[in-house]
Amino acid sequence: MLAFLLRRIGYLIFVVWGVGFAAFFISHVVPADPAAAALGSNARPAQIEAYREKYGLDLPVYQQYLRYMVNLFQGDLGNSLRTQRPILSDLRDFFPATFELTLGAMFFAALFGVPAGVIAALYQDRPIDLGVRSLALVGGATPVYWLAILALELFHSRLGWLPGPGELNPYLLEPHRVTGMLVVDAALAGEWQVFGSAVSHLVLPAAVLGAFSTALLARMVRSAMLEVLSQDYVRTARAKGLAGRVVVFKHAMRNAALPVLTVMGSLLGSLLTGAVLTETIFSWPGIGSYATSSAIGLDFPAVMGVTLVAGLVYSLINLLVDVLYGVFDPRITYA
Amino acid sequence: MSRPRVLWTLLIALVATLFSFGAAQSAQQQTLVIGGDWTDLITLDPGVAYEFSPVPILDNTYQRLVQFQGTDLSHVVPDAATSWDIASTADGGSTITFHLADATFSTGRPLTAADVVWSFDRVIQINGPSAFLFTDVAGMKVGSTKALDDHTVQLTLPKGVNPQIVLNMLTFNIGGIMDATEVQKHVDANDYGQKWLNDHSAGSGPYMLDRWDRGSQVVLVVNPHYPKPPAIKRIILRYMQESNAQRTALKSGEIDIAYNFTPDAFKEAESDPSLNAIKTDTFQMAYLGMNSGPNAPFADNRVRDAVRYAIDQDGIINDLLAGLGRKMQTIIPYGLMGADTNVYFPHDLEKAKQLMAEAGKSGGMSVEFLIATGACTGGVPCADLAAKIQSDLAKIGITANIKQTTSAQLYTIYRQQAAQLVLAAWSPDYPDPNGNASPLADYNAKSLAWRNDWNDATATKLATEAATSTDPATRKELYAQLTKYVAENGPFAMLYQPVYPIVTSAKVQGFARSAQGDVDYTAITKLP
Repeated sequence: MLAFLLRRIGYLIFVVWGVGFAAFFISHVVPADPAAAALGSNARPAQIEAYREKYGLDLPVYQQYLRYMVNLFQGDLGNSLRTQRPILSDLRDFFPATFELTLGAMFFAALFGVPAGVIAALYQDRPIDLGVRSLALVGGATPVYWLAILALELFHSRLGWLPGPGELNPYLLEPHRVTGMLVVDAALAGEWQVFGSAVSHLVLPAAVLGAFSTALLARMVRSAMLEVLSQDYVRTARAKGLAGRVVVFKHAMRNAALPVLTVMGSLLGSLLTGAVLTETIFSWPGIGSYATSSAIGLDFPAVMGVTLVAGLVYSLINLLVDVLYGVFDPRITYA
Repeated sequence: MSRPRVLWTLLIALVATLFSFGAAQSAQQQTLVIGGDWTDLITLDPGVAYEFSPVPILDNTYQRLVQFQGTDLSHVVPDAATSWDIASTADGGSTITFHLADATFSTGRPLTAADVVWSFDRVIQINGPSAFLFTDVAGMKVGSTKALDDHTVQLTLPKGVNPQIVLNMLTFNIGGIMDATEVQKHVDANDYGQKWLNDHSAGSGPYMLDRWDRGSQVVLVVNPHYPKPPAIKRIILRYMQESNAQRTALKSGEIDIAYNFTPDAFKEAESDPSLNAIKTDTFQMAYLGMNSGPNAPFADNRVRDAVRYAIDQDGIINDLLAGLGRKMQTIIPYGLMGADTNVYFPHDLEKAKQLMAEAGKSGGMSVEFLIATGACTGGVPCADLAAKIQSDLAKIGITANIKQTTSAQLYTIYRQQAAQLVLAAWSPDYPDPNGNASPLADYNAKSLAWRNDWNDATATKLATEAATSTDPATRKELYAQLTKYVAENGPFAMLYQPVYPIVTSAKVQGFARSAQGDVDYTAITKLP
């Protein structure tokens, strides 16, 4: 197990390095000038020159890369050209909100997607299965920005059931920042009024962001369950007279969990990095809006920082999924 | 957590949520929430900030020596200085002597002449993106500002610098006065306190910075030492990039003011009794830049004139901007001294075609048309605006091949004089006609005239004379000549001057935004 982990961490470092390397060189062949972008449209040539020199943008690309890597090994992601702050502080500010939103979306997807898939499999080709499959098709094919605007209009503007954009009722004070995730911080501080507001603000964006994952998950769970339910051991279990409940929950679901786990892992990764549109429409102060503004503003160090963190998180989730395989399936060993 | 505990927690949360509505209600009347796209906020240091969004924040947290009153930008009125005297010096320069009022910083310390000197010198030492206003436009150096006593500051300006322009410029946040003692306590590695000033303020304005949660909100609270406590105690600027989100939040009362309504939504708001739709002025101008260098496609002024006759400005303003713009054809916009609102080029396709023929282009010509992604000034998508211009130009035989890039890339190309035809916007760096005249007419200013490779001795001479003249009447006359000259000979086809649509809840009273972007938060009240 330890050897496996070490080897995988080695791979992980290699993957993240590769992602960073690609991002660095792609961002540096873009024929645009970050200095000009940072200084705005009225800037004079002399100002731009001075800026380039100050941030080393006038050096050859390989020298800039060397400089970047040396700093990176010292744990320094550099400063954002746009916000003028260390990228790490920026990420610390923006990442938790996205993580919170993503966990919310994942929770939503698991809450609805897994039972829907199980039920659809148990009632294969019956109306309920058809219903789940149709819904899954619609959910998977609906663009998130459209769903977001629609959901906001319906549940917030028309029905008034849920609060609008943002993380919190603006008239409430944010709790002391510990994790950066508002729901968690409010709970830690025992500020239940803030907690309630934060949870209710999370519902709509999380549901919208999670819609696609819910659909995908329902379909994955359904097909995994169908496969398992046709296996000999399930027939045997049934033949032994075990209750249907026990067969489904104990024998079938556990075995169907493996492919589902894989999907959930990669979904979590893509949710984390794909929250841009949802964040924009719901004014969610997450990494998506930060990444967008950075990319538009040609803030290369910030784009690099976001890319590296996204790569790292993605790899870590994959590692976690692989470890969890062993928990669900004792036959898998790590050598 | 055991299952009953989880249930209890959820129940408490639910009850708390219900209570939260009641508690929030009482705070609402003293809290103003403004929704907008504040993503251009980079710094809240008045000596460094040079973007649009920080303007109202900084103007309400830092006093300047002089200010504009409300939306009237024609003359300055006292702020931290009660009065000032302008005098000439022996070497042909001038001095402005300011007499300071009694004011107290949010830190509790009194504002003194030494704070003014320190704040101004600091701008020059940091040499940030706005510092050229002090160093280039005002010709100031470290030492130009002197404290004569605790309540008197003298600013010495070199020959050729117009003290009237400097006074107008000092209304901008660069002239913000900070508590030198406080800021010096928080200097980190020679940063002049820049880092600290992003999360704290040290000014004597009516408000002080409470917190800036990047990407989420900026919160201002009342400066306890400000003599006249304003009605609104907390100002929250919430980041809301999406205009639909702003519309939704305004309708449900989560925000009081929305900064980014689309023209369509604005039109709808105009007939909604629960909202106030306000057209506020801007100094922005959308224009076409035509490269007029010796071998460039628009080297011949007849071709440039043809373009000016061919553009259907009324169509652009009425259809694309839904009326949210003013027609203008000169380089000094409505609202500034010397504004020239004459129409020199009525829409006339026949005249345009004739000019093309005279220039030997009756067979037509083809140019690359550079435009930015996203929205152009006034909120209209650049691609839509460009398509309209493309079709206008096609009518006189000019094929404009649209090339769309990010705005950062566009300016990189433009700055190298490498754009043939460009769709861009301009707004002056400071509210004085010279903020437009010099960059748009004077090639040597290395700004717009230069980017379009238009080097014209007459325009340069007129712009320079108007900039240095201290007599307002003479300046006005010179600007009248200059605007007409550039309109008829320059490298621009002006498109429109957008008005900035802002929608507030009908409960909000006293909101006004100046063309500079300044808002006096102390003038605002909220009805219950």
